[in-house]
Amino acid sequence: MSDSGGPDVTHELRLPWDDDPDDLYENAPCGYLTTLPDGTIVKVNRTFLTWTGYTRAELIGHRRFRDLLSPGGKIYHETHYAPLLRMQDDVDEIAFDVVCADGRQLPTLVNSRLGRGPAGEPRAIRTTVFNATERRTYEKELLRARQAAEASERRVRVLQEIVADLAAAPTEAEVAEAVLGAPEPAFGAASSSIYLVDAERDQIIAVASTDPTAGDWDDMPRSSPRAVARVAERGDLHVIGSLADATEHFPDLVETMRKSGRDTVVLLPLTTGPTDERSGTETLGVLVFSFTGERKLSDSELRVVRLLGQQAGQALDRARLYDEGRRREERATFLAETTRSLDELHRLLPRIRRLVDRIVPEIADWAEVRLNVGPTGLLEASGGPAPDAEVLAQSTTKVIATGEPVFGAEGEPADTAVLPLTARGRVLGTLAVRMMPDRRGIEAERLFLRDLADRAGLALENARLYEQERQIARTLQRSLLAGDLPIGDSRFAVETHYQAAAQDLEVGGDWFDAFLITVDKLAVVVGDVVGRGIDAATTMGQLRSAIRALASAEAGPARLLEGLDRFVERVESARMATVAYAEVDLVTGDLTYACAGHLPPLLHEPAGTPEFLLRARSAPLGSRAGDTRRTEERRRLPAGSRLLLYTDGLIERRTRPLDKGFEILAREYARRRDAPVRGLTTALADTLVGRDHADDVCLLCLTLGTEERIERTIGADRMQIALLRADLRGWLVSHGVEPECQDAVLLACSEAVANAIEHGYRDDPFGMINISATVTPDVIEVRVTDRGTWRGAVADVARGRGLQLIRESMDQVLFDRGDGTTVTMRRVRRESPRE
Amino acid sequence: MPHPTDQWVSFAKLGDAELVSLTGEIDVANAPEIGRAIVGRLTTAGKVLIDLTTVSFLDSAGVRLLDSLVGDLNDHGTPIRLVVGERGAARMTLQLCAFRPDVLASDLERAAAELNT
Repeated sequence: MSDSGGPDVTHELRLPWDDDPDDLYENAPCGYLTTLPDGTIVKVNRTFLTWTGYTRAELIGHRRFRDLLSPGGKIYHETHYAPLLRMQDDVDEIAFDVVCADGRQLPTLVNSRLGRGPAGEPRAIRTTVFNATERRTYEKELLRARQAAEASERRVRVLQEIVADLAAAPTEAEVAEAVLGAPEPAFGAASSSIYLVDAERDQIIAVASTDPTAGDWDDMPRSSPRAVARVAERGDLHVIGSLADATEHFPDLVETMRKSGRDTVVLLPLTTGPTDERSGTETLGVLVFSFTGERKLSDSELRVVRLLGQQAGQALDRARLYDEGRRREERATFLAETTRSLDELHRLLPRIRRLVDRIVPEIADWAEVRLNVGPTGLLEASGGPAPDAEVLAQSTTKVIATGEPVFGAEGEPADTAVLPLTARGRVLGTLAVRMMPDRRGIEAERLFLRDLADRAGLALENARLYEQERQIARTLQRSLLAGDLPIGDSRFAVETHYQAAAQDLEVGGDWFDAFLITVDKLAVVVGDVVGRGIDAATTMGQLRSAIRALASAEAGPARLLEGLDRFVERVESARMATVAYAEVDLVTGDLTYACAGHLPPLLHEPAGTPEFLLRARSAPLGSRAGDTRRTEERRRLPAGSRLLLYTDGLIERRTRPLDKGFEILAREYARRRDAPVRGLTTALADTLVGRDHADDVCLLCLTLGTEERIERTIGADRMQIALLRADLRGWLVSHGVEPECQDAVLLACSEAVANAIEHGYRDDPFGMINISATVTPDVIEVRVTDRGTWRGAVADVARGRGLQLIRESMDQVLFDRGDGTTVTMRRVRRESPRE
Repeated sequence: MPHPTDQWVSFAKLGDAELVSLTGEIDVANAPEIGRAIVGRLTTAGKVLIDLTTVSFLDSAGVRLLDSLVGDLNDHGTPIRLVVGERGAARMTLQLCAFRPDVLASDLERAAAELNT
């Protein structure tokens, strides 16, 4: 450097003035202390005295260096400074707070050197003291800055986690939960609560809280003066820094804050956008969190808090849309399934039941369907508790009158909705539901209920129409079947039976008919129309009328069927109907019959076994593929013959071949040869198909001619006495027996049979009783025979009265007791009643 | 729910008398049931009319039923009339069993009037 002509710094530069070494010592820019090895101050410069405010006299010889240190400093002096100094003779940059004369602490940095004597013994310690006030402040700031950075980082981390949670939260409830968890880790809040705004109901709902006991935590109207509602209204963050602050702005919080020991409360609106862009920004909720102790939030914290409000608001918005979408989808599915489910049932009552069962508990706690159908109406309810009956009745009346739904009666909480069930512009009835607490009063729910009621109304109206049609069909069928069958002609008797399918089916098209074509010519018919329901019933009625119209003295069965073929060309629904048709000449006993696709009639003559009439067969009415050349068959029937016409329901079973059915029918029919005509068709149906049958069954039995002698066999069953009486009465009438005489014979015969059952067969329920009767112009004779054993007959007072009645009503009574008992009773025919 | 005996027996009031109307055939098969149905209704009756005018058959079991009804009501001092018409099966049977003429009546309105005097 000297080569360049610059100053030579290996020597001190000579100053332009004298630098006094004392002055240098006294006024150096640092403090100097010289102490003895025990620390006693022996020399000190002015700089140190100026900084600390001590006088030289106060220090020299009186104080040790450590006496000037703060308590912490003293400890450090003893544990670090002194030992280090003794070991290495010097220590540098030790930070000590020196306690000044006025008690103030002066941050310093201290360097010390230990001087030793020739023997190496410590002689003195020289110490320089630097003022470190500025440096300490800087360090403190550094520390504070680091702490702030860490806090900020932690906040950011917490918030990042929460934002991730928010993004993943699909429902309002989950968003609320995620937001609720933020203030404690992020800002060190003591507790937090979240409120959601329910715009539909103009309410602010308290949803969740980390400490529900800490605050006044409940729902409020949006117009409430309370802090939460005010902040929600304004849509801007509000911090209540102290109790005094609360007293001034939101007195409602003071009590709560005091009670729960909170000093700072932050009310953060959860908004769909930045709060400074107020247009289009909606407040969806409010997050409230509070601190114990007054807590000042920095600007950066407040920025983060606001950001949290926006993030949460947007997540809520998304969740609401999602919730709504999902709910809408659920409702749509529910409606579709309800419609389908109701369609599965045709009848009205089951449909109502199913509707109510679907609504409770899925949609409502309680539901009731009222229909103004029939004389008393229909009512079906499920669930509970039911709303107040009087209020409900008022709402129901209003709904029926106006056709408009009522959601909650006046002055009542809107938990019960009454909706009209309408179809084709008519109020059919009402659907009342008590809604779930979380769905009450919500517009979307109202729309849904309206939709449900509309669908239910239509489904129930359809069921009602079905029910009505079914009723009409039944009534029509009954009226046609119960029509004017000829009775009271002693030359024949007709017994019929009809039973509808046991399963819940519509009426079938089976029918029977019997009518007199002329005074001496009887027609009997059994037929079966294809299909079910009101159409089948109507068609059956048309065919029945057509047959009555086409039958004539000259026509005969074949021509009648041809006429029906032509009829079917005009009445399409009658096509493929089957008919068994027979005419009987009541004078000659001639039978003429024909079958159009129908099962063959079964004939039982007095002698011999039953016989299926298999001739004169052709295709069903109007058949295009079948042989419709109509023929007829004629044969003469002896008096006492029985002809059975029937429909396929009697013999067809899925579980057995048709032949088997014919065989069983013939056997059962033969077995009842001597059974009374009355009840015969019912008994056959009972035996062959029972009560649980899948098809309609229709039978007609024609008994022909007046028997000179009537013979019947009945079982030992009281119920059969009436059936026997019916036959016997018909027989007596056909022989022109006088009414008084008829009554007397019927009474005597009944009593004799009752005696046989109660005495002869008292121990034998399977015993049989034979009854025969003959009539001449002068006398009627009845014989009743049993194979039982009579015991104590005379001792029985009641039967004694029976015997007395027999004796009183008949002229001659004979008992023949051998192997069983035969009672023979005669009555003389007279013109006038006996007195 | 209709009772099985409804086809034979029905109840009504005629003035202050309990009116029991029987119809159809009353015999050993249905008399006990009909009896139970009637007794169930007559325990508190003050006056009783039993209308048999449309009964088409009455056997000894029916007679026994009516006999015990009349007997019980007489024991309780309850006035009773059996209305049987001028002719017909019921009258014949009851006459054959020699029912007391003061119990039988042939006209419903007159019988009711008699009970009220």
